[in-house]
Amino acid sequence: MAATTTQSSWHVLSRICAGILGSYLFTWGFVALGATALLAAGLGFHEATDLVSMLGFLIFLTAFCFAFIAASLTRVWLVLAGGGALLTFAGWCLSRSLA
Amino acid sequence: MPDAVLLVAALLVTELGMGWLALAMDVHWKQVHARARSPRSATVLRTLGTAALAASLTLCLVADTATMAVLVWMMLLAVSAATIAFVLSIRPRLLAPLAGVRRASIAR
Amino acid sequence: MFANFRLSLTWLHTWFGLVLGFVLMVAFFFGSMSVFDREIDRWSLPQTRIAAQPMPSFDRILAARFAQMTEPDPEQRELAAGRVTQPLPEKLKVTTWSAFTTHRDPVLSMFVGFEVPNSTLPDDQIFGDVTIDPRDGRVLSRDQLPIGSGFFYPMHFSLHISWYGVGYWIVGFAAIAMLAAIVSGVFMHRKIFREFFTFRPTRNLLRSTLDLHNLAGVVALPFHFLWALSGLIIFAGIYFPVIETMMHPLVEQHEREEATHTGLDLEPSGKPGRLSPVDAMVSAAKEKWASRGMPGEVGFLAVTHVGSSNAYVSIYRDSTDRVATAEGMHFDGATGRVIFEDPPVGPVETVNGFLEGMHLQQFRHWTLRWLIFVGGLLSCACIATGFIFYVEKRKRTHARDGHAGSRWVDALAVTTVTGMVVATLSILVVNRLLPENLPQRDLWEMSTFWLVWILTLVHAAWRSSALREARMSKAWPEQCWTIASLALSAAVLNAVTTGDHLGRTLSAGYWPVAGVDLMLLATAGIAAVAARKLQARARARVRDTVADNDTTLEQEPERA
Repeated sequence: MAATTTQSSWHVLSRICAGILGSYLFTWGFVALGATALLAAGLGFHEATDLVSMLGFLIFLTAFCFAFIAASLTRVWLVLAGGGALLTFAGWCLSRSLA
Repeated sequence: MPDAVLLVAALLVTELGMGWLALAMDVHWKQVHARARSPRSATVLRTLGTAALAASLTLCLVADTATMAVLVWMMLLAVSAATIAFVLSIRPRLLAPLAGVRRASIAR
Repeated sequence: MFANFRLSLTWLHTWFGLVLGFVLMVAFFFGSMSVFDREIDRWSLPQTRIAAQPMPSFDRILAARFAQMTEPDPEQRELAAGRVTQPLPEKLKVTTWSAFTTHRDPVLSMFVGFEVPNSTLPDDQIFGDVTIDPRDGRVLSRDQLPIGSGFFYPMHFSLHISWYGVGYWIVGFAAIAMLAAIVSGVFMHRKIFREFFTFRPTRNLLRSTLDLHNLAGVVALPFHFLWALSGLIIFAGIYFPVIETMMHPLVEQHEREEATHTGLDLEPSGKPGRLSPVDAMVSAAKEKWASRGMPGEVGFLAVTHVGSSNAYVSIYRDSTDRVATAEGMHFDGATGRVIFEDPPVGPVETVNGFLEGMHLQQFRHWTLRWLIFVGGLLSCACIATGFIFYVEKRKRTHARDGHAGSRWVDALAVTTVTGMVVATLSILVVNRLLPENLPQRDLWEMSTFWLVWILTLVHAAWRSSALREARMSKAWPEQCWTIASLALSAAVLNAVTTGDHLGRTLSAGYWPVAGVDLMLLATAGIAAVAARKLQARARARVRDTVADNDTTLEQEPERA
């Protein structure tokens, strides 16, 4: 595919890592903050965790596609990995205040 | 078993529906007969097709509980669409009766 | 990544579809086999070819068997030994007993849970299991492999790679790739509605393959999406154990609250106790179900805190009439009275239960079961035509430039399409050929499967040298002929070794075995027809002329 030659192998590899690892981290953060936020809002334990799990895979899918569609690779890493870390931290803090 | 009869009926009605929806498209209409058709017939066929699919959903809901019926219907749609596609590619004339909305315009 | 998002999605679809496609073929093919796993079990274990049995009497049959199940599975014990801070004691404490059956099972699975003391994991338990004949409690030998539920089904979700659960992760990632391939495929396919019914089986292999790929993908699109998604949701605890790892205090808090709310103690009391007759509890449960207009059999029965004064018995109905599994009733072990009944679940858990139940298919609905089976095969067709399209599109250029890419993709495609079927049939054939009481018969059968699959890869790799001249690899028709002969042999061997030929099974209405035999014969027929057509095509030397390459395929980005 001719279009690939305009991107270096490193760029492609970075995109793939961002797509897989970045999306995973972002989803982890989504689940962390999402579940604790729903629990804080009064949802039952199983309700909160089930809902966040179901949505989580759709979030992963969206993040994964975003990693390849977005023009700027830097933005992809910032949003997915950075965002994921932030969401995870926020979720963890919230969980400490709940337990 | 009445359920089996209902499900067979649902399958047949879904096939009809998919057939009508296919014939509503010019490319497949032309496979079945050569004469051009009036612009309204496409709308009629599409309406018939949609109505048939709604009818098959109703049949499924009569046969089973709601959650199972929805799944059965979804899979019937897939199987029917595939069948109609294969019929159109191998023996399109088999669908001629479905196109007989205006009998006078069927080319023989 | 590229100039526009459609190009990026095309790249994503092509490369992730190609690489993970091989895993997805395995997941969807063995997923389809798993739809009829218990029927395949009956075929492979002739001694279980009896009618489906309801759960037997606990007091007369199960209790005695449970009392004899004092050891966990040795493999699980070994793994547990690696994660404890103190050496494991000789005898582990029994914590739970459970039994599971469905409307399709003539045999019953029984499990015993053992507590793992001093474990690094919280609430660590390992299990032992047996399969019994419910009519008399006789145990089935572990050497007898239920090929459907014991081999095809685990292959489907874990590829039989249990090392650190890596197989689960590979399949999980393949599922994400499937979802991404569906989304990207929709965006790539600009004429998705106009070409909904389009299939043009012309001499132009590229065009007809793409048509078939699109057709198989689009007509069953909700199926492909929902089954990949629900599979992921089922294992969400493996893929995103966020709460269990990072927020364990929340889990503990919830467990304590639930124990208080339900009256079902978290920990055994430490005082010994006796179980009052469980059969009476089962009768009470059945009466309750009948009084609510949903009579049924027991699907799952569990005893928690075995031997303690606060033991409780949980009874779940075999939910044959709906998609999600049923709620449970919990009885006090000592007195037999109802402690707690699971209430109907809220909207979120209803959706979750629907998605999981849809995927696991414990309901009784043969039409739906067959439709799902066909759906799985459509998924396989979509993936397989994807491989063929990839190769066809590039084989001339690669042959001209000396690239090996399309050659190896073709070889791997043969291996995961026809090769996988060859291996599947050979495990069925060898199942009928091996002596009934051969020790470790299960290992012989599984080894045959893997060995044959590797051989099909070797064969495919050898024959794919034809791709160097842009010709079709002979491996395709040769493996099709192999499929035809193996499928026919399997059906014949069943008749010869067990006497349950189609005449007998059809007239007796024993559909599990008749169904498998009929599928075998159908497979033989289809494979033979396919083989002949492929050989005819190769002989006719359809010269894929320049005219074929002129076909504008607007989904593909322009080549330089």
